[in-house]
Amino acid sequence: MTIWNRLKYLWPGWRRREEREMREELASLAAIAGRKELGNLTLAMEDVRATWGWTWLDGILADVRYSLRALGRQPSFAAVAVLSLALAIGANSAIFSFADALLLRPLPVRNPTALFDVGSATPDNPLEGMSFPDYRDLRGQSRSFSGLAAYRITALAAAANPAAPAQIRFASLVSDNFFPVAGVTPAAGRAFLPDDVTASAQPVAMVSYDFWQQMYAGRPSVVGSGLRLNGIVFTIVGVAPASFTGLDRFVRPSLLVPLGMAQRLDGETADPLEDRGRHDLVVKGRLSAGASRKSAQAELATIGATLEREYIKTNRHRHMAVRTELERRIQQTPQLLALVKMLMGLVALILIIACSNVANLLLARARVRSREIAIRLSIGAGRSRVVRQLMTESLIVAMAGGVAGLLVAYGGILLLETLSVPSDPPSVLGVQLDWRVVEFSLLAALASCICFGLAPAWQTARTDFVSALKTGGDGASGRGRTVGRDILVAGQIALAMVVLMAAGMFLAGFRNLLAMPPEFRTDHLISLDTAPAVLHYSPEQTKGFYRRLVDRVRTMPGVARVAMTESLPLSPSQTVVSVVPEGYQFPKGREKAIVFGAAVDANYFSTMNVEIKRGRAFTDGDRAGSRPVAIVNQQFAKTYWPGRDPIGKRIRLDSADGPAAEVVGVAKTGHYLAVNETPAPFVYLPCEQNPRSRMTLIVQSAGDAGALATPLRDAVRSIDGNVPVFNLRTVATLYQSRVTDTWLQFFQMVGTMGFIGLALATTGLYGLVAYTVSRRIKEFGIRVAVGASQRDVVWLVERRGLILAGVGVLIGAVLTAAAAPMLSAGFPGLGVSSPAVYVLVPLVLLMVSAMAGYVPARRAAGLDPLRALRNE
Amino acid sequence: MDLLQGTLDMLVLRTLLAGSLHGYGIAKNIRSASNEALDIEFGSLYPALKRLEAKGWIASGWETSAHNRRAKFYKLTAAGRKHLVREHSKWADFVSAVGRIMGALPEVKG
Repeated sequence: MTIWNRLKYLWPGWRRREEREMREELASLAAIAGRKELGNLTLAMEDVRATWGWTWLDGILADVRYSLRALGRQPSFAAVAVLSLALAIGANSAIFSFADALLLRPLPVRNPTALFDVGSATPDNPLEGMSFPDYRDLRGQSRSFSGLAAYRITALAAAANPAAPAQIRFASLVSDNFFPVAGVTPAAGRAFLPDDVTASAQPVAMVSYDFWQQMYAGRPSVVGSGLRLNGIVFTIVGVAPASFTGLDRFVRPSLLVPLGMAQRLDGETADPLEDRGRHDLVVKGRLSAGASRKSAQAELATIGATLEREYIKTNRHRHMAVRTELERRIQQTPQLLALVKMLMGLVALILIIACSNVANLLLARARVRSREIAIRLSIGAGRSRVVRQLMTESLIVAMAGGVAGLLVAYGGILLLETLSVPSDPPSVLGVQLDWRVVEFSLLAALASCICFGLAPAWQTARTDFVSALKTGGDGASGRGRTVGRDILVAGQIALAMVVLMAAGMFLAGFRNLLAMPPEFRTDHLISLDTAPAVLHYSPEQTKGFYRRLVDRVRTMPGVARVAMTESLPLSPSQTVVSVVPEGYQFPKGREKAIVFGAAVDANYFSTMNVEIKRGRAFTDGDRAGSRPVAIVNQQFAKTYWPGRDPIGKRIRLDSADGPAAEVVGVAKTGHYLAVNETPAPFVYLPCEQNPRSRMTLIVQSAGDAGALATPLRDAVRSIDGNVPVFNLRTVATLYQSRVTDTWLQFFQMVGTMGFIGLALATTGLYGLVAYTVSRRIKEFGIRVAVGASQRDVVWLVERRGLILAGVGVLIGAVLTAAAAPMLSAGFPGLGVSSPAVYVLVPLVLLMVSAMAGYVPARRAAGLDPLRALRNE
Repeated sequence: MDLLQGTLDMLVLRTLLAGSLHGYGIAKNIRSASNEALDIEFGSLYPALKRLEAKGWIASGWETSAHNRRAKFYKLTAAGRKHLVREHSKWADFVSAVGRIMGALPEVKG
């Protein structure tokens, strides 16, 4: 039959017409020949319908109709099942969208799986980027990639018009082929051309879609208009599409500028693109048609080795490697992988709890429905047909759960959306409800359907229909028949316990965290960042600017102390220094240590209350031209000069033949990036000897630190009105956002999971106990009739629930003991095994179980024995 | 006697070559033309008719029979005629090929 003829029969009107024709024809023939002569006409009509095709669809529709009717007859079953699944699938989808934003979401480019990251790393710094000369050579020699694009993220002071004050915005400095390699087409205007990239070219820029909407209200006339970036006027040539949010997870650049502009933007004397020692580019390559990852890796190794031979000074031990985007992200943020694994693991447990809940309900229902099934089997329905119908029912429940789960997920995502990444300038975490989340929800629904649907369907189809028909519907009643369901409920409680224990451990760890001293002062402090370099200050001018600023602020009313540092402890952007500690033997292949470090002034230690354990702090005498000095923290001394006196030792800066500085003091080890980090080495350098272009001003106030915000901003303005001021905030605020808020949010997430897990497991337990009570009404009636007290009956019922809960708690304890080390390892300082948690969680579980059992127990005890016995 | 697959279609088309008939008429006709050797059940004939109609080899329409009864009559279409000719020669080839192998049965002892 032609497609058209087949499709015709999908149309209900056409089928009705054909059906009518057929009936009329057969009726007329029956009138001519007699009914008997024609034989089984029903079968003949069925055969004709089969030739129309679509009988499978008819079957499915019939199953769906039948299932909906069956579910409608037991609305409370349907409601509990769908609600359980909705909570669990919703939690899973919300966490998936969170994991997507943290780690998993593919790059917003064409065919992202073919786009690889090309790293250029040394054993000292496996996350280092590539230098532009290396990139240029690689691009010239590589045959494995159809395109290699390079970029780096920077912050620029952007002003849409000359009158507006500049704002600090993220920008990508990109190679000329960035858009073609990414496979991204501009929403308006054009992408960069090779001619745009040279340093001498007319400055051109592209803006992100968001920036276009925000600053220009989406006007097309933006193409061709001017934009001031770090004081240089650029012409906007194009707008990136809305879907393109950049190639980094947490940074959405507002601006895109050719790499060739790097030198002018930063006001540097040397061209950074000619510096082979400057490894700051991210390189992405699209594999060409014939190449594989392996062949590309082999080629990169060859090219890298050649470069190492030719430029031994900058490229020693440097090797090039292909990584997938996911591998790169995991390498960058292994702690996020631990977080994602833990959260996904916990919600998976919740989904299992929900599935066993539904399976339990289905099993209870199967017992009640066994008579209906038996009738269907006895009138000739095949067992596979019955199983198919039951699976249809499960699928409908699962899909309803999946769709309702999306609503739950949407609520969760609205909460997660507000999570911000503590960065400067702030950026948002892209948690969003998109097609990936919808697909994930439906897949989770499908998987859970298979989980909870198959077993009851199989059990039902196995029904011995003769005995089912004889005993009047409920098969054999009594205690022996709920073993499978007992296991399910005990398992639920065990899994709920694991989730609750995780939540408890997080809570205990969180409390420890709050009690942990920050090791620096957080009260009466306000800080601000400035970047005079964006105005192309010379190093001398920068130094003069900061000196004038400190002098001016020191004399302001309400100011107790003023200090300067390159980076504030616990602020998101920690600076690092490369050092070679004298006398330290590096492992093979490594030649320097990259550790946290900051250039600070003489007042830093007293202002921030950083204790000097030995030696001295910096003084005003540590200036340019005087003996170079440094202060290390205890952890640094312990790591590089174990058991020896660090005072008087020397460290080389940058490399083994770099300038030396003598250690004059040892500071107490603090927390630098996170309160729960493992102790990290730190090097302080005097900023007079190591001038930096961008510094943070720290002001200790006599009174309320927040009140100094406006006077401080004015102080900067009065020196130079064009210098951007940012990150103006009290240190207490920073501490709260970095320490308290982030972990509080994680705790809330895990806590919510624990609550959902507990609620689901309790529902399961309640359902089972209530079901057993209803099965045993007659028995309870007899017990009461022969003199059992109400208390006896309550205890009889409760005992059963408590035994199940007890077994669940025991299994849960074993599971937790196995899972706890993973938690502690993934979250140093957080996965704390506090004894209180080990006592409280089982207690809570047993208490809630007792309450869940009490309701049906009261009902059993309150039975009128006469009514109960008549019940049969 | 059982029918080879596809043979029923051929028989129906062959029967309709003589003129249009209703469904029951076709069954009766095949039975009498085969001297009662082929007793086609109406239950299997009817779906075959519908299948042939869907393929466009026969067409149907309501007519009044000789006994003044309304019934749906089937007749051969041009496409059906062509198909019959094709099938007929295929069938003839098949019969003669099988005939050559079988021949007259020689004396078989035992």
